[in-house]
Amino acid sequence: MKNHIAALSLLLLSTATVAVAQEKASPLEISGSVDTYYKYDFNKSGNIKTFFASDQNSVSLGMIDLALKKTTGKASFVGELSFGPRGQEQSLLTAADGNSFHIQNLYVDYAFSDKFNMTAGFMGTFIGYEVISPAANFNYSTSYLFGAGPFQNAGVKGTYSFSDKVSLMLGLFNEWNVYSASRGTSSIGGQLMVSPVEGWTAYINGLHGLDGYGNYSTIFDLTTAYEINDKVKIGLNAADLSAGDDSFGYSGVALYPQYAFTPAVALGLRAEYFNYKGISGGPSASVTSFTLSGNIKSGGLTFIPEVRFDNDKDFTQGFLKSNLTTFNKSAAQFSLAAVYSF
Amino acid sequence: MKQLCFFFVLITLSKFSFAQEVAELPKDETGKLTYYEVVNTTVKEDSLKIRLLSFIAKSKKDIKLNTTQNSKVILARGKFTIQKTTTLLSHPSGEITYQFNFESSTDKYRFWLTNFEFIPYQKDRYGNFVPSTAIGVPLEIEPKKSNAKQWEDYRLQASEYAVNFAKRLKDHLKNKIFTPPPISEKKVVSKSW
Repeated sequence: MKNHIAALSLLLLSTATVAVAQEKASPLEISGSVDTYYKYDFNKSGNIKTFFASDQNSVSLGMIDLALKKTTGKASFVGELSFGPRGQEQSLLTAADGNSFHIQNLYVDYAFSDKFNMTAGFMGTFIGYEVISPAANFNYSTSYLFGAGPFQNAGVKGTYSFSDKVSLMLGLFNEWNVYSASRGTSSIGGQLMVSPVEGWTAYINGLHGLDGYGNYSTIFDLTTAYEINDKVKIGLNAADLSAGDDSFGYSGVALYPQYAFTPAVALGLRAEYFNYKGISGGPSASVTSFTLSGNIKSGGLTFIPEVRFDNDKDFTQGFLKSNLTTFNKSAAQFSLAAVYSF
Repeated sequence: MKQLCFFFVLITLSKFSFAQEVAELPKDETGKLTYYEVVNTTVKEDSLKIRLLSFIAKSKKDIKLNTTQNSKVILARGKFTIQKTTTLLSHPSGEITYQFNFESSTDKYRFWLTNFEFIPYQKDRYGNFVPSTAIGVPLEIEPKKSNAKQWEDYRLQASEYAVNFAKRLKDHLKNKIFTPPPISEKKVVSKSW
């Protein structure tokens, strides 16, 4: 009995010591999100083809996203895995052997100083306003600009922070979205971040090289957001992609005004104009889209009710009327999504 | 019986070490949660200022000077991270920013931490947690019922941080030099075994 008590006492002491020691160590960060949605297209068709609310009149899966991060001194890694339609075939290309590796982010980072760090691996793209994870977007469905641009870039990049207000990133990358390069490290990219006043941040991005369409192209992208006060925020994304031989390209602009009624309830509009450049001097075609979304938060859960109206005056999107045979210039849908972040 | 008593004392001590009592910060005359302290000192005013600036420079990741070095009241803006920790997961969930004020006279100085604001974090495209807004929510605001426990925890963490910050600052201004005890050199003797 005495021995048991002594052993238990020692165990308690050692547990306390370990707990105190662990506080000083950098913990392994575990986080993620899950999302599910219902969508109803008013013409009873899966008309609007931008990502990710794709299934008509169905309670469907988004994805489960799991991320790990660990920092030890100046070195850190991030590994982010995703499972489900949003996190697999809708946002990741399969590897050459047909496998989906489920990887959204897998990189290592080393901070050489407070101002300069280098990162290597497979990373979410630095281009664009919207992202794959629904937890980091205001709207649940995504823009045409998001769908047209890169999703991930594999490569190596260095970021230098001149101050809190200015930083510059330069990197060498594979072609868009792939785990391994088919034609070598073919792209060069950069990002200039400026934050002229508190609450306003702008990213000026450029990427030149092999794109996701098989062309050598150049994309310029401006992503900026300004919080006017604790209720009003305005975001803007503008991009232009041109292939070297003028055989392909697009340009577009999207505006994101948002109003927060309370910290838990907000309403936001996305108004977008997207233009497909005419191939070799041919006519261009454009689409306009208006998406009104609400964000209602309770703890880790966010409900996103959303209505969306798209106008396709040049019939490039193949919108159908409710008879499912006649083409239509416009499409409208309602969706309700639930996103839980942890 | 003695062993049992010893065992219960240990349990109490270990529990105490995990759950230290921290009170919320008091409010100042404007209703702001504030940590305020006046300290008598024998250190000269000029030296105090130099030591304070070195303290801020040493903690430059967390606290940044807002005023010129010649100002009578030295102002700085600081922050610390709030960690969300449960049995299975841990990650930063936000940060609390605050304003640091420092004033000195002939034989004393005073400092106070106030304007505590919470800024929630959001995961970015690279899987890192970053501020989701540049505009913080003052900790004095009364939370909704569903959020009350979490908000109380933020206030307690602010209080705990302020107490630790004050201790570090006072030690630094006293120029307290910590000398580690000499460690006896250990040698491996492999000849006799």
